[in-house]
Amino acid sequence: MVLVFMLPLLFAKGQTPEAEQNWRVCAACHSLGTNRLIGPGLEGVTERLEQDWLIRFIRNSQEVIESGDEYAVQLFEEYNRIPMPPNDLTDEQIIDLLLYIENGGQLAPEYAAAEPVAVEKSAELQRLEDKLAEREQMLLELDRDANRNMGTTFMIILIILLVVLADLFITKVIKARFVHITIILIGVAIIAEVAYREATALGRQQYYQPEQPIWFSHRIHAEQNKIDCMYCHTTVEESKHAGFPSVGLCMNCHNVVREGSITGRTEIDKIHAAWESGQPIEWIKVHNLPSHVYFNHAQHVAVGKMDCAECHGPVEKMDEVMQVENLSMGWCIDCHRTTEVQFSTNMFYEQYRELHEELHAGKRSRITVDDIGGNECQKCHY
Amino acid sequence: MEKKYWQSLQAYQNKSTKSLFEKQPEKEFTIDGLDDSEVKGNSSRRDFLKSLGFSVGAVALVSSCQMPVRKAIPFLNKPEEITPGVANYYASTFYDGHDYCSILVKNREGRPIKIEGNELSKLTYGGTNARTQASVLNLYDDARLKNPMKNGQESDWDTVDSEIMGKLNAFSDIQGSFAIVTGTLISPSTKRLIADFIEANPKTEWVSYDAVSYHAIRKAHQQTVNKPVIPFYRFDKADVIVSFGADFLGNWLLPVTFTKQFTGRRKLDNGHNSMNKLMVIESNLSLTGSNADERIAIKPSEESSLLLALYNKIAALTGNEQFDGPEVSIDLSQMAEQLVNASGKSLVVCGTNSLQNQLIVNSINRILNNYGRTLEMSRTINLNQGSDEKMLSLIDRMNNGEINMLMCWNTNPVYDLPQSDRFVEGLKRVDTVISFADRMDETASQSTYVCPDHNYLESWDDAEPLTGVYSITQPAIHNIFNTRQAQDSLLRWMDSDLDWRDYLESVWEEHIFPNQSFWQGFRPFWNQCKHDGVFELEPNPEDETITFNQVRLTATPSATENGFELSVYEKVAIGTGKHSNNPWLMELPDPVTKATWDNYLTISPSDAQSLGLQQEDVVKFADELELPVLIQAGQAKGTLGIALGFGHSGAGPVANGIGVNAFRLMRFDEGHKLTTRPGVTLEKTGRSYPLALTQVKHTMEGRDVVKETSLAAFLQNPASGNEDQKYKEKHATTLYPEAKYDGFHWGLAIDLNSCTGCGNCVVSCQAENNVSVVGKDEVRRNRIMHWIRIDRYYSEDPDNPKVFNQPVMCQHCDNAPCENVCPVAATNHSSEGLNQMAYNRCIGTKYCMNNCPYRVRRFNWFSYINNPKFNFNKNSDLGKMVLNPDVTVRERGVVEKCSFCVQRIQEKKLTAKKENRKLEDLEIKTACMQSCPGDALVFGNMNDPESKVSLLMKSERRYRLVEELHTLPSVSYLTKVRNTSEA
Repeated sequence: MVLVFMLPLLFAKGQTPEAEQNWRVCAACHSLGTNRLIGPGLEGVTERLEQDWLIRFIRNSQEVIESGDEYAVQLFEEYNRIPMPPNDLTDEQIIDLLLYIENGGQLAPEYAAAEPVAVEKSAELQRLEDKLAEREQMLLELDRDANRNMGTTFMIILIILLVVLADLFITKVIKARFVHITIILIGVAIIAEVAYREATALGRQQYYQPEQPIWFSHRIHAEQNKIDCMYCHTTVEESKHAGFPSVGLCMNCHNVVREGSITGRTEIDKIHAAWESGQPIEWIKVHNLPSHVYFNHAQHVAVGKMDCAECHGPVEKMDEVMQVENLSMGWCIDCHRTTEVQFSTNMFYEQYRELHEELHAGKRSRITVDDIGGNECQKCHY
Repeated sequence: MEKKYWQSLQAYQNKSTKSLFEKQPEKEFTIDGLDDSEVKGNSSRRDFLKSLGFSVGAVALVSSCQMPVRKAIPFLNKPEEITPGVANYYASTFYDGHDYCSILVKNREGRPIKIEGNELSKLTYGGTNARTQASVLNLYDDARLKNPMKNGQESDWDTVDSEIMGKLNAFSDIQGSFAIVTGTLISPSTKRLIADFIEANPKTEWVSYDAVSYHAIRKAHQQTVNKPVIPFYRFDKADVIVSFGADFLGNWLLPVTFTKQFTGRRKLDNGHNSMNKLMVIESNLSLTGSNADERIAIKPSEESSLLLALYNKIAALTGNEQFDGPEVSIDLSQMAEQLVNASGKSLVVCGTNSLQNQLIVNSINRILNNYGRTLEMSRTINLNQGSDEKMLSLIDRMNNGEINMLMCWNTNPVYDLPQSDRFVEGLKRVDTVISFADRMDETASQSTYVCPDHNYLESWDDAEPLTGVYSITQPAIHNIFNTRQAQDSLLRWMDSDLDWRDYLESVWEEHIFPNQSFWQGFRPFWNQCKHDGVFELEPNPEDETITFNQVRLTATPSATENGFELSVYEKVAIGTGKHSNNPWLMELPDPVTKATWDNYLTISPSDAQSLGLQQEDVVKFADELELPVLIQAGQAKGTLGIALGFGHSGAGPVANGIGVNAFRLMRFDEGHKLTTRPGVTLEKTGRSYPLALTQVKHTMEGRDVVKETSLAAFLQNPASGNEDQKYKEKHATTLYPEAKYDGFHWGLAIDLNSCTGCGNCVVSCQAENNVSVVGKDEVRRNRIMHWIRIDRYYSEDPDNPKVFNQPVMCQHCDNAPCENVCPVAATNHSSEGLNQMAYNRCIGTKYCMNNCPYRVRRFNWFSYINNPKFNFNKNSDLGKMVLNPDVTVRERGVVEKCSFCVQRIQEKKLTAKKENRKLEDLEIKTACMQSCPGDALVFGNMNDPESKVSLLMKSERRYRLVEELHTLPSVSYLTKVRNTSEA
């Protein structure tokens, strides 16, 4: 079965890691699919066009355009007259790259992995993971809605209780008293639960999902276009703040991407308006911590090697960002109790001699954040 | 006999009658200032129901409310070097016409929030003083002018510029001249600019003058070595130092540099077993005097005869010419002998602005062979170049109507001239007065135009404090208000196309860059200078040789007039009063008197007794001035002291109207500004005025927290004075298990031999940790918030005591008494040995404060932020910009204290983790340690046996406060060693 799956791949030559490397340059403006970015999508490009033409165009597109090539000029006009920069590549490199594009961005099997099965598995895994993330997002939305409907539940139960009480003492329609009592008991229990939940959520903002000044979708940017989180949140590995992208950073792409697939020009025009007027965009902060809490992104991402999603949830599935976790102190501490620190890989921790000895002696199997004092007051409050 | 220590004279008087332990202990907390209802708590059942109803309603209301919407506003276009959340440091220079310091400015999100010492400077070596530390708050002073002013009305630059330029152009046609009065300028570029300006406007003259004059030192050197210079004093090369009233550790010339030099020779760790000896002869007890090994209290008028007597004694020993002088009552032969024994390695300095005295000092240093050794002549001090004579002549010409236009730059003569009435008279005869003051100060309010200068943190500038030693001021923030740097104003009025920054750069390119050979191109050189903040040229050794003209030395006999001799002095915090509107400085307890917020008359205990004066009694003295008296141990009999820098009317709301202006008490004598005034009589008024002293409080109930010894005893036994430490450690028992630390165990070692008590750490800590200013009333109620205090103890004779300074902050005890008593575990111990304080858990029982033997915990009796009752920097949007965003601002009702700068610990730990390396020793520097001019504090990991703090902890001089309680503090002290022969 495995062999059958691999057969077409085995015939395709090239597609070296070098091609993948070169593709990264292209990927700034082109997608492997059919969707337009700054330049056209490249799916099927090798079928549409001659290889020779492609080699010439990739090496120096301006030369082809200036030579008066009809298709090249049409392309140039269609894509806002943005020139594609010349590339210093050999014919072999370009052919290799084209093969890479033709195969939807997959490496040849000999480079892909030592274990060909892994390719298959990982694709499968990816689908499963995607599904899970989808589901997670759906569940989150359900949770959020349940949470938002808590007030309504409260009011309905309250009215039912009042009606039941009225019937019990005044109208007496239902004769059997245990009905009243059962309803009252259940109602009080629900109200108590709602009150408890509301009280603990006081000052927290779980499921907070404010409307932003610009309808910005992480789903489009992070999932569809696969833009890395750190492309925009640049300071996450160096500062306590992950960093909101400056308008200038948005303009890197939106200088040319003037139209969105969902909102058309309206939302992207707001970026341009901000850029031209010099008035920065006032985003609404979704994840807020009280002022007496010190939280540092660099500590968690650069040092702790945590994934953004561990706290922020499946952001790439969200059109509007929602706070997934409650960001309570209990939540922080729970994680600190179970999360292992990079104890043997980060030289910093060498200072903890006794813990290292215990680790070697087998007295401990791992060192958690809590073990090195990560749950003490003045790690976050000062 | 065991030495007795006391902190205040009240304590001394109590001590002499009964033991301190029997003394009725003072109330630790008072409830003054709180509402009746808050104090009595006599609420009725109805009140209870009311509040119950209110709280239920409030809870319902709050739960239905939305959380406030918080916005995140990113940059439009992010500057490359700014990362929100990460501090940038810019090298710069603090120079205000009086103090010089090379600094680093810590910037967060574009705001300067802290001043750190620049460790690359070969002058200040990373040290600062309290005024430098506090200077960052001057930037955020609401009293600063927001716009240029014309005749007291707000105006705009175009109007002001065109009118001034019109007047300058009309100059050529009219009689009269134009004078620029400045404080001392040490900027080579600004000097060139003024020269250019004078060239463009030939009728201009430039007079520089200083609030506190050092003119006599320059004049004396003009006579003796033919150069009007102030030599670069090298206290680090001197074994024996004699200071006649020169407070070189507090105010005199370059106090930060001199403190570094002085304390560098008093370190006894690492096998050092010699130290310098300081002898001070003065009338007011100064910071330097309180650090002296031997101190003699004299009347100011005795100084010249004593100096001459000392000269004659030394001359006799060295075979030099002697001069006749008045009889003196004090035997100086021992001092002379010690100086002669240390010939070439001794130094005599004098702080009096008298030519006669300075000539004697020069001669003493010459016959001691000190020139070229402890007095560098190849590099001389450029500070304080003001000429008293020129200023006097200018005032005369102003009154004669010869001056048409006057410009006051970085100077406030109406406030700080001794004869300012004549100056004010003269001002009225000047057509146009231009001031560059940053606020409507006393001179600015009498000026036609005020063209507000930038704060130094908004400015480009350079400085040459010492010949060939340059440093650069660069802006750390865009100007906040519509101000303009004075140099830019001059360029504008010269109709120049250059802006000041380009001008500065061109001066460096043309005049400073060619003097060096290391850098080939100007750009890299200039960038490196801006990066380092300092640049130094090699001194020319040929300049070291001098020809010394022997002059005739004379001395005046001491004054025989009745009455007191009054001398004015500078406080370590307030100085000449330029930054009096700074609440940090106002609330900094004076290192000597421990008084905050006020001006007072210091008087010796015996004089107070004979006149029947009590502390705080208001007296009337010279020219009908009134001030309360402060009885100051160590004040010479028959003398009075009064601090400069008070009695402002135009400095701002914090400073205005406090005390009297002591500049009025100074006088000109033969062209010299004198700081003393004989024949002052005191008259009781029968009233009293409350003073806010910090040292009568926070007492340690007579436990032996003070340990000192003499050098002689130390050389015999390094543990002398600290003999009981071992015994106490050995016999310590405890119920608690011994604390064990893996990884880090933070500790602080404080070398009491290096601490001068200057108060720099107090302000540094205040800036770093958002410590509140509470105001005079609250200080009187024992509620000062400083996380670090400097305890001062006296011993021996109250009229001339030995002084002992000891910084005390939270001791971070391993067996912390505070932790056991907190009912909510708001204070507890970390695995790194920190005594943690979680403000949001604190419910304000103050049990911890009661149980702390060191009295280092502070309670927020009020909300000190956004509270008009405490109208200091935390009550203004501008003032709040100085807050450190990494440190919580504490609310009412919680206890706070020193955290060992945990935010700095965490920051450096994170840096090491990010760089995947071990944390280095001395990488973490607490705020107090970083800028300490005496390098008295060393912070580090006690778990690392190689760390500096661990090495200091092994010293036999090391002790901990109240060891017998077995609290196991992480702060250790090293005994003070005085360089005296007796044990």
